Amino acid sequence: MAVRAEPRTPGWQRGRVASWLVTTDHKRIGILYITTALAFFVLAGIMAMLIRLQLAQEDVGLLGPDRYNELVTIHGTAMIFLVVVPILAGLGNFLLPLMIGARDVAFPRLNALSYWLFAFGGLVLMLSFFADGGAAKSGWTAYAPLSTQDPGNGQDLWILSVHILTAASVAGAINFIVTIHNLRARGMSWTRMPLFVWSIYVFAWLLMATLPSLSAGLTMLLLDRGISIGGWEAQTNFFDASEGGSAVLYQHAFWFFGHPEVYVMALPAFGIISEVIPVFARKPIFGYKAVAFSTVAIGFFSLLVWAHHMFTVGLPNSLNGFFMVTSMVIAVPTGVKIFNWLATLWRGNLIFETPMLFALGFLSVFTIGGLSGIYLAAFPIDWQVHDTYFVVAHFHYVILGGSVFAIFAALYYWWPKMFGKVLDERLGKWHFWFLFIGFNITFFPQHMLGLEGMPRRVYTYSNGEWEGYNLASTIGSWVMAIGLLFFAWNVERTWRKGKRVGNDPWQADTLEWYATSPPPAHNFDDVPYVTSARPLYDLRRRLREKDGYRDSL
Amino acid sequence: MAGLLLLAAALAPAALAGNGGFAPVSPESPNAERIRDTWVFVSIFIVAIFVLVEVLLVTFIWRYRRQRRERFEDGPQIHGSTNIELMWTVAPVVILFLIGGFVFYKLPGIADVPSASASGEERLEVRVTGRQFYWQYEYPNGAVAIDTLRAPAGVPVRLEVSAPDEDVIHSWWIPALGGKIDVIPGVTTETWFETERPGIYDGQCAELCGLEHAKMLASVEVLPAAEFNAWLSGQESKPASVELGEEEWQGACAKCHGLAGEGGIAPRIAGSPVLTDPQALEEIVRNGRGEMPAVGSGWSEEQMDALIAYLRENPPSGS
Repeated sequence: MAVRAEPRTPGWQRGRVASWLVTTDHKRIGILYITTALAFFVLAGIMAMLIRLQLAQEDVGLLGPDRYNELVTIHGTAMIFLVVVPILAGLGNFLLPLMIGARDVAFPRLNALSYWLFAFGGLVLMLSFFADGGAAKSGWTAYAPLSTQDPGNGQDLWILSVHILTAASVAGAINFIVTIHNLRARGMSWTRMPLFVWSIYVFAWLLMATLPSLSAGLTMLLLDRGISIGGWEAQTNFFDASEGGSAVLYQHAFWFFGHPEVYVMALPAFGIISEVIPVFARKPIFGYKAVAFSTVAIGFFSLLVWAHHMFTVGLPNSLNGFFMVTSMVIAVPTGVKIFNWLATLWRGNLIFETPMLFALGFLSVFTIGGLSGIYLAAFPIDWQVHDTYFVVAHFHYVILGGSVFAIFAALYYWWPKMFGKVLDERLGKWHFWFLFIGFNITFFPQHMLGLEGMPRRVYTYSNGEWEGYNLASTIGSWVMAIGLLFFAWNVERTWRKGKRVGNDPWQADTLEWYATSPPPAHNFDDVPYVTSARPLYDLRRRLREKDGYRDSL
Repeated sequence: MAGLLLLAAALAPAALAGNGGFAPVSPESPNAERIRDTWVFVSIFIVAIFVLVEVLLVTFIWRYRRQRRERFEDGPQIHGSTNIELMWTVAPVVILFLIGGFVFYKLPGIADVPSASASGEERLEVRVTGRQFYWQYEYPNGAVAIDTLRAPAGVPVRLEVSAPDEDVIHSWWIPALGGKIDVIPGVTTETWFETERPGIYDGQCAELCGLEHAKMLASVEVLPAAEFNAWLSGQESKPASVELGEEEWQGACAKCHGLAGEGGIAPRIAGSPVLTDPQALEEIVRNGRGEMPAVGSGWSEEQMDALIAYLRENPPSGS
């Protein structure tokens, strides 16, 4: 391999802070993504706690309708665009080159641009609370014409922020796709790629395919609100019925992006689970090809289901029927994954360390979110439960119980690779159990609230029968918050006096564990020829056969 | 294992019949009933799959825990099985085929509006308009009501649902009387119900429509047919009724300004000279002002007179 002389880094870029500001190292950018997103997670979590406090009983009076609607809007937007997707993108950033045996992503500077756009877009969203008229109030979906009629600047800033985040995501997605196509280690064919890399690959394509539709919808929204550039004013009426526009058009543009976005959040989570479960069951993944192919199938079908968010707008039932069938089809590859994970556990040597606890927790609650989705796909049932707390429960089971549990599994699993120290097991277990129990107390009763008729996005309610479930839900949110405090404590404690571990503390299977912990700037001095989807397992076996490596454990 | 599954499948409908929040609210209209039937049918499979997955998960966690084995001892190197993959691909397809089939079997009875009741009663047509933040109902004879829809028992009621072009999206939903239907500016949609039992059925707007979305309650008051007909024909003879004016005050004004005009999310209006000046009142109600939506755009003269008459007789006290 040719060695290229690196230009010397100027002195001012070598400081503790400055080196992070100018970095193009995928590992540092990944860590920046994750820490920034965790900071937004704290803010979005506080918003959720306020929402739950307001709904604990009838007429609590903590939040007025304007403040409540702002919090609902920004909580949703932030959790999706500033927390779940960026943490997954951050994990992808950190892990992808390491997992495929590359030095970095294909376009390191573009990668840095992605991160800084993301951080800036997030800042715009959070600061929009201080705008004239407060933050956006029309929900994370920003349905027209409610969103076009709001006179405040918050909605404009919301559009600006999501536009910036979209640009960041597209740049990141291009980077991932090009990297996966071109920089895989020798011997790593498509069927020897780690399953997490497969999931990031489909994640990136979904972003590429659907973000333009969101951008178009948001630009039309902005124009409908009216723009003014240096005295020149313009206003369109794409979504304004009184001028011949169609409010339903926006919903199509939004959901063509919005539903695949769910899989943008779910697929990398599936990828994480597919990495963690085999390592902690001491078995290969059951049905590697089925798991990889089901990722692609879910990605493809997710592009064909958007109107299941629109079953109540009065589309012809032939169309509703089509979208019911496509939505149900997605259940098949999703089921394939769940059964393959279960089969991986079968006859394993199960080790219940924190990453595995979160992976198993994911399996048990994500199943509930997946199954409640089948009710929603059957469109006459959706006519009953659409836009109620049943849906709120459903997507929190998918995104919080699914993606966020997987993210915690990933953080506990790859923390030693990122920082060379393993997170504390005891605190990790407290973290898991509080989060797992609190999560179910918070969100399971919301299914019942929805079935009893409580719509989502209401700042108060006058039906006394809903108080019991609402109070339970609010109490659950505090249990979850305690769980998250355990995580914060764990990070702090590990930072100070965490246990140092070697390159491969879990005896894992994939290439990132071949690098040192933390890896050097160039990742690898050499990369072994990849002979299967489990290069490190192969390496251990060869060593064992050669000189009794096993005894040295 | 199989026995457990069968047991779960058998218990599911029984558990659902008792409701307790595990099924949509007790249906009082044939369309709501058929939706609930669909829910129960789907639940059989959902509960069975749920029990299957969770039981397997817990069993494996218990059965295959490490115990005294070494920390890194490998399990058997099983890489998969094509036959098993095929099995758990095909089985869900069959289940989903059954669910889809059942939906289409029940669909006509849910979506199609009957033209008459079983006993031959001609259906009633009501126009429902969703607006920030109240519901307006118009009957064939021109009678108007706000928020509370009166309907006769035993007669199919077809609702023609829309929103004014300049309003926002709402969603009509009375859980016991069927699914929801969005109320979209520029679009007219329909839904229906038919209930035998007189009573009051509550619901509310199900699509975020602005600040007082949570207060946009709707209820259907089902009266015995004779009583309903008497009420409806009574409406015709007294156009500027104080009764309608009161509904308008409560539905269109009080949700923001307070029941006694004491102010809420909108300013206090008790004692305002506008309330006693018919022209000024009409101007602001029809056109809105600042953040106040044009709540009364499109109101008939009778509707406007009703509000004026009500406010003349019942000036808001302010507390």
